[in-house]
Amino acid sequence: MKNVIIGQYIPGSSFFYHIDPRTKIIAVVVLMVATFLLETIWQVLIGFGIALILIIAGRVPIRKIVKGLKPLYVLLLFTLVFQIAFNRVGTIVLDATMQISPFSILFMIAATIIWRLLASFKKFSLLLFFAYLVGLFFIMKNLAFSPLWTTWQLTIYDQGLIMSGFVIIRLLIIITLSTVLTLTTKPTELTQGLESLLRPLKAIGLNSEDFALIISISLRYIPTILDEANKIMNAQASRGADFAEGRLKDKVVQVISLLVPMFIIAFKRSEELADAMESRNFVPGKPRTRIHDLKFNYRDLITTVITVLCLAGSILVKVL
Amino acid sequence: MSYIDIQNINFAYHPKRPILQNLSLSIDKGQWIAILGHNGSGKSTLAKAIIGLLEPDFGTIDIDGMTLSPTTVYEIRKKIGIVFQNPDNQFVGVTVRDDIAFGMENLGVPQAEMLEKIDFYAEKVGMKAFLDKEPAELSGGQKQRVAIAGILAMQMDAIIFDEATSMLDPTARRELMDYIRELHNEGLTIIMITHDIEEALWAQRLVIIKDGTVFRQGTREELLKEPVTFIEAGLELPVGLQISNALKQMNALSLELEEHLWESSLKK
Ligand SMILES: Nc1ncnc2c1ncn2[C@@H]1O[C@H](COP(=O)(O)OP(=O)(O)OP(=O)(O)O)[C@@H](O)[C@H]1O
Ligand SMILES: [Mg+2]
Repeated sequence: MKNVIIGQYIPGSSFFYHIDPRTKIIAVVVLMVATFLLETIWQVLIGFGIALILIIAGRVPIRKIVKGLKPLYVLLLFTLVFQIAFNRVGTIVLDATMQISPFSILFMIAATIIWRLLASFKKFSLLLFFAYLVGLFFIMKNLAFSPLWTTWQLTIYDQGLIMSGFVIIRLLIIITLSTVLTLTTKPTELTQGLESLLRPLKAIGLNSEDFALIISISLRYIPTILDEANKIMNAQASRGADFAEGRLKDKVVQVISLLVPMFIIAFKRSEELADAMESRNFVPGKPRTRIHDLKFNYRDLITTVITVLCLAGSILVKVL
Repeated sequence: MSYIDIQNINFAYHPKRPILQNLSLSIDKGQWIAILGHNGSGKSTLAKAIIGLLEPDFGTIDIDGMTLSPTTVYEIRKKIGIVFQNPDNQFVGVTVRDDIAFGMENLGVPQAEMLEKIDFYAEKVGMKAFLDKEPAELSGGQKQRVAIAGILAMQMDAIIFDEATSMLDPTARRELMDYIRELHNEGLTIIMITHDIEEALWAQRLVIIKDGTVFRQGTREELLKEPVTFIEAGLELPVGLQISNALKQMNALSLELEEHLWESSLKK
């Protein structure tokens, strides 16, 4: 649990690393808006192509971006299933009678077991999952024999596939954009960029400097607090607590027994931290100088031009 | 007039439980003093009062000719820095560089000057190679040295160490003590709060606190002549002195042996 470093930042020196964080944040937001203006599958495919060219040019490891997609598999799958099941527009591409019988249920259980057994090959997890879905489809379509319990009709329309492709690719673009941002920008730079961008909000009473300090201190303390949670868990495990197994009720009790000391320690910690900050002349709201400077350079200009072109392009295709 | 002059301060967190009671103490510029006392005797409370984190209910604290008050407290914090016990709870920056900068940023030091000073003082405390490291990648001793660098960079006159070594392993503790001695040799006033007598013996003058007031003070030679004082103050004697004390009570202590035991306690 040591060395937990927050954020996905990976050190590097390509083009993206040297863009001012403010430019990057604004460009990503603008490009996301532009993506939502796109209306057809061809447009989002072109958008995705541009995004790919940019990340390859910026030498951002694609592997990391795929990793960033992991938490969204369920959402992507849901989109696919939803579109296929409910979209009734266009021409029919597949119309199959699905059959359920004791045999097919046995086969499906077998398929599930095989799929779970292969789950240790994490690299191919996505591929295996699709193979599993295809397998289920094949079983229901062809391996029913008798006695049949029930049958249902699976009808897929081409617009259902196209729409799900559209939604998924649009999501891919957005994830890619935000992943590129977090991969190539240090959390400190991100906070500083945000601070600078939020500065006008001083008019409505939000002090962006204090806000940025709060974020950066939270970032700084997350590893420490995780480390602490780990220590407490180990201490409790050595006294017989079992966090992995047990009934729900036991788990709830264990989580509470973890949270209570965590809260007490966190409060004590924040009190000591406040003392340390104050003793080092920190006065909330007082102007401070900074060691990190934000400076625009020619790269920001290039980024801005590309961003504006993309936005203009997507507005154009929407209007035309 | 001494550098720090504390006169008759009283302080209580809860009105019914006074912590500091009529405590008076003066500390000269460039002196290394140790403030000794058992757990809960009020040492940290005293340290917080000196840098104005707590306001005494009664009494005055003068520092470098200024009386501590809500208006002078910021001036005083430019002169006296403090290193706390838990290295993790005082590391404000995301990296070593940011942490050393924190105090200077608060004082509005120009950027170029800050960068120069960060390099200089990081080098001085031996942390130059770690400037871009995050606190999770540092040992406790390294974090304490970063805290010291941050204080030195603000050009302080005095540093309070509130049990700053107590969470370190013996080697790191020894290193930090050696380093503190260097700072003292360079003219800094050192106020070392501890409940470890051996550590306190590094100082020129010892002040023993008991029940929130000064119980006894003197040079280390003076206090070592009457080890019973430490016991009365609820402190644990170093092994060498414990033996010497026991032998003395049995009238079995030869002059030679006594000297030897003393030496071993004093040898730094
Ligand atoms: N924030 C607080 N609120 C209430 N009581 C407190 C607070 N901080 C300290 N105390 C109490 O004040 C007394 C003196 O505390 P202080 O921290 O000054 O002792 P200390 O000499 O530094 O002890 P230690 O050696 O444990 O650090 C203790 O009894 C403690 O319980
Ligand atoms: Mg204390």
